[in-house]
Formats: sequence, structure tokens, C-alpha cells
Amino acid sequence: MIIRGKAWTSRAYVMSFDMVVQRFWTSPIDKTENAKFIMAGVDAKYDKENAFKDEGYTFIVAAHNFAGGGKSIEHCVTGLMGAGIRAVFADSFARLQFRNAINYGLPFVTAPSVIDMVETGDELEYNLDTCELKNLTNGKSMTTAPVAPFVAEVAEAGGLLDFIRKKIADGTVADLR
Amino acid sequence: MTITEKIMAYNSGRDKVTPGELVWTDVFSVMTMDYLGKETFKLFDSLGAGDVFDKERVICVSDHLVPPPTPQFATMLNEWRAAVKAHDIKYFYDLGRQGIAHQIMVEQGHVLPGKISVGTDSHANTYGAVGAMGNAVAVSDAAVAMATGKCWFRVPEQVKFYVTGQWQPYVMAKDLSLHIMGMMRWNGHLIYKTLEYAGPAIDALDIAGRMTLCNMTVDLGAKNGIIAPDQKTIDFLRPVQKGTWDMISSDADANYEAIYEIDVTNLGPTVARPDKLDDVVPVEQVVGTKFNKAFIGTCTNGRLEDIAVVAQILKGQQVHPDVNFLLVPASTQIYKDAIKAGYIETLIDAGVAVDTPSCSACAGIHTGVAGDGDVVLSAGNRNMKGRMGSKNAAIYLTSPAVVAASALKGEIVDPRRG
Repeated sequence: MIIRGKAWTSRAYVMSFDMVVQRFWTSPIDKTENAKFIMAGVDAKYDKENAFKDEGYTFIVAAHNFAGGGKSIEHCVTGLMGAGIRAVFADSFARLQFRNAINYGLPFVTAPSVIDMVETGDELEYNLDTCELKNLTNGKSMTTAPVAPFVAEVAEAGGLLDFIRKKIADGTVADLR
Repeated sequence: MTITEKIMAYNSGRDKVTPGELVWTDVFSVMTMDYLGKETFKLFDSLGAGDVFDKERVICVSDHLVPPPTPQFATMLNEWRAAVKAHDIKYFYDLGRQGIAHQIMVEQGHVLPGKISVGTDSHANTYGAVGAMGNAVAVSDAAVAMATGKCWFRVPEQVKFYVTGQWQPYVMAKDLSLHIMGMMRWNGHLIYKTLEYAGPAIDALDIAGRMTLCNMTVDLGAKNGIIAPDQKTIDFLRPVQKGTWDMISSDADANYEAIYEIDVTNLGPTVARPDKLDDVVPVEQVVGTKFNKAFIGTCTNGRLEDIAVVAQILKGQQVHPDVNFLLVPASTQIYKDAIKAGYIETLIDAGVAVDTPSCSACAGIHTGVAGDGDVVLSAGNRNMKGRMGSKNAAIYLTSPAVVAASALKGEIVDPRRG
């Protein structure tokens, strides 16, 4: 599968508690709702309903420790998905949000120095099968690490909760380990 | 294998595991708390699993919102309590028996050496202090673990800190945590990894100090922090443990991605400057900095041993009139023990406000949050803008000894010099 679209980038730390500001930490998990004020603390211009979503990004490209700061909230991931983000590339990801991304089937792709080949607004193309990332605006490209089979399996099932619902319904939970 | 690899292998029914591998493991206990618990139970109910996997091993704690600061949070707490009751949970530490979840999990023996426990709060790494693998997860993972008694993990790369030397007076485990933060920074070095602490200076730490050290491994970006159990662990757990366990440790020939050696003999009191946890300096560099709020508490430094240090420094003296000093014990048990030991009376005489156990101002939700222009000297764990309330407040993080000694002067001092 090939995803194509516009990128939002940041060289600075993008922290979980800025992606989802405190007044939403206890909100119910809902992609559309969680997307409304996503990134509100990263940039004040996004502290307006659907402001980030309305800029129409498909990708995020960042440097180290993306979504760091240790919040165990999963609205960071559901909010990005609700805002139209279909993959995030960074030098490294904070582990809690990396887990959450896998659990929701949103590709968080570790790609060293990817920030050096993309500016905000660039048009990117990512091939999920070959793991090739192309910057259509400047012609640069790179190949990312492949996705682990378990991650693909969870994504295929529609996320961890559906993956487990099916196993509970089938009576195959005991086979997990 | 390292202790963490052994724990992951045993609990996934394998002979061995390799860093990078994804495995499903058994989970010994699952913790959720007032702040995210209602949502966790809602997702759990949506899985169609019926009962939780073990009513004695899903642990519920009220800590972020008690006592409730607003009608909205009071309502949330009521919904949370209803959810806990509906699931017939045996161990529910609600207001009156409350404490910070991570303190409760260790103090009440809900985490054990060689076992894996998960919690819906990032500082679940604390459980490594008694040789457990403690891991923070979000609500979906916790719901799945409640239903299945299992969780998936990526086997982390293994990093060891071998710590030697003599701890100097007024130097605490917190100083070592902050020192390592400054040494490693946030540039991905420790993300996803295990931080195993070992060596004579770790053996010398009490369980409280080990909890501080493992607690802050999450703030270093690590997946878990761990210290192998020893006689102190046995003595600590014996009266409270909720299950049996075996001694476990790393093999002499275990593989580590990196081993860092630190000698604490030369380690002094250490401070993280406002906004960035990895902006760490020796206390000497910030001596003389004025502040108006002092705070001791949290899952990092709200234990009896921390309160003892504060009481010892403040005994017979008065907190500076320009400083508001708030101390919040990490659990009801600690609060009671501190009263018995006479510490609370000493604190009150010195002009310290003591509040009922909770996460308190650390989460920026209630009890002494920071306002515009506040400069806070805190023994907590995070200092980013807005962490304790207003984005226009500055937070210096340090040890309980530095907070107490500085509160007497109204400016940061080196507690070794007073």
C-alpha cells in the first residue's frame, strides 16, 4: 500500500503533554473528538477546534523522543489518527506512545535523520510494502526498517482491542503465549 | 541472561529471549487509578471477557484526584468507584486508605521479584526496586491485561549502571537519578531500554532509595529500571507479599549493550533546572536562586526515609517566611509512620503544611498547584512548563535534603554547607 500526502515537521522535542493538553487527558477515547485540539500545546495556533486537522497533513516527521514526557494517555495517537495522520517518522519515539501506536495500527517508523530530508508542507510518498519513503517535493528518499509481523497482524485486525476481542470470542486467548 | 531477560523468558514460557523480539508474557498484577481507571474498565467491558483475570491481582488506587478538587473530579471519582465496585475488585485503596499507586503496589506487596506488573501510569517503573519488571501502559493495554492476564512486550536492550563508592552525607538516590539524566540526556540513548542498577552503592541503598532510582528510569526514556532482590528485599516484602517468589539475578556473563560505571563518592547534591529534565547541574551552580514554594512528596520522594531527612534538617528551625512549604506523604501508611516517628510534629513546628496522601501538586491537578511567577523547588519527578499548574511557573527538581535546607534560607543552598 502507498500513502501520499503532506508532512508536518519538527526538530524540537514534540512532547505528549503538548500534543494533548491537560484539559483533555481524561477525555473518552474517540478519534474524531481527540483530534479536535491535537497539538494544542505544541503551537498556540493549534489551540482552536480542528486547527491542526484542517491544515491537512498525512505525515509527521520529527527528531528524537517523539511524544516523550511519559504520559500514559493514548489520545496522542487517536488524536493524530483522527486528524488524518497515517504515519510518523522520527529518530526515536517515546516508548509509551510507540506502544499505543502499535496498538492502534498507526505506523511509528524509526528513521534516523529523516528530519534532514523533509520540510513542513513537503509532499511525501511512503510505500508500506517496500518501506521506501520519497520526498516528492525535493526528490530525496530513504528506506526505513521493515514492520515486525506482530505489528502488521495487530494493524490488520484493526488494532489491539479488536485483535483481542476476536481471540476472546474464538476462545484462543490462551494461545497468545 | 540479565534479570530482565530472565523475567521475560520465564513469564513467556521460553528458554530465552533476545532484545528486539516481541513476546506475550503473563502479568502478575495490573494497576489502574482514578485518573484513567474508568476508561480502562470501559474498554475492558467492551472486550467481552466477563470477569477480570484475577480479582486479587487487579489493583485499584485513588491517587490523582483525591480529595477531589472540583465538582467535575468529584463526579469522575464517583464513576470510578462505581466501576471498581462493579468488577468486584479485592484491593481498592480509596480515600482513607489511599496512597500514590506506585507506592501502594510496592508497599503492600502487589509486585514481586521475577514477576511482571503493569500500571496505567508512567512511573510504574518503580516496581523494579524489588526486582519486578514494572511497566507503564495505557488504558487499552491495561484493559487487555485485565481480561487475559497477559501483555505484549518488545524485549528491551539491556544497559547496566554499575555504581560503586561511598554515599556522602546529604547525597541521596535522587541525586544519582538526576546525575544520570544529565549524563545521558534525552537523545534516544536509553529509550526503550532496561536500566539495571547494580554494585556496592546500590546494595547500600534502602528500598526507598531504590524506588526513587527505578521510578525515574521512565523519565530517562527507559522501558524498565530494575535492581536484583537481596536480603533487604526479602525483609521488606515478607510481611506484605501477595504471593510467593524466588530469588533472581543477572548471570555473570549476561550481555549488555552498554555498562556505565559511576562512583558516588564524588557525587554531590544535584539539581535539574526549570523546563528540561536533562538540564542538570551540581547544586553549587544554582546556589543563591530564590524560590517561593517548596514541595516534597510524589512517587519519587514521598517516603518515610525522605521525610526523615527533611525533619532532621528542619528540626528546631523555621521555614523562611517567603517560602510556602508543602509536604505530602506518598501513602497513608507512610503518613502514620511519620506521625509515630514524630516527624510530622517537627515539620508543623517548622512551618511546613502537611497534606493527606495523593499525587498532589506533582500532577498539576490539586493541592498546592503552581501559579504565574511561582518558582518551585520540588523533590518530584518532572519540571516541564505547566507540570505543576501554570505554564508561567519555574520548577527546579532536586532531593528532599536540598529542598529542606534551602527552605530555611529562601534560596537554594548546598545542604552540606547549610
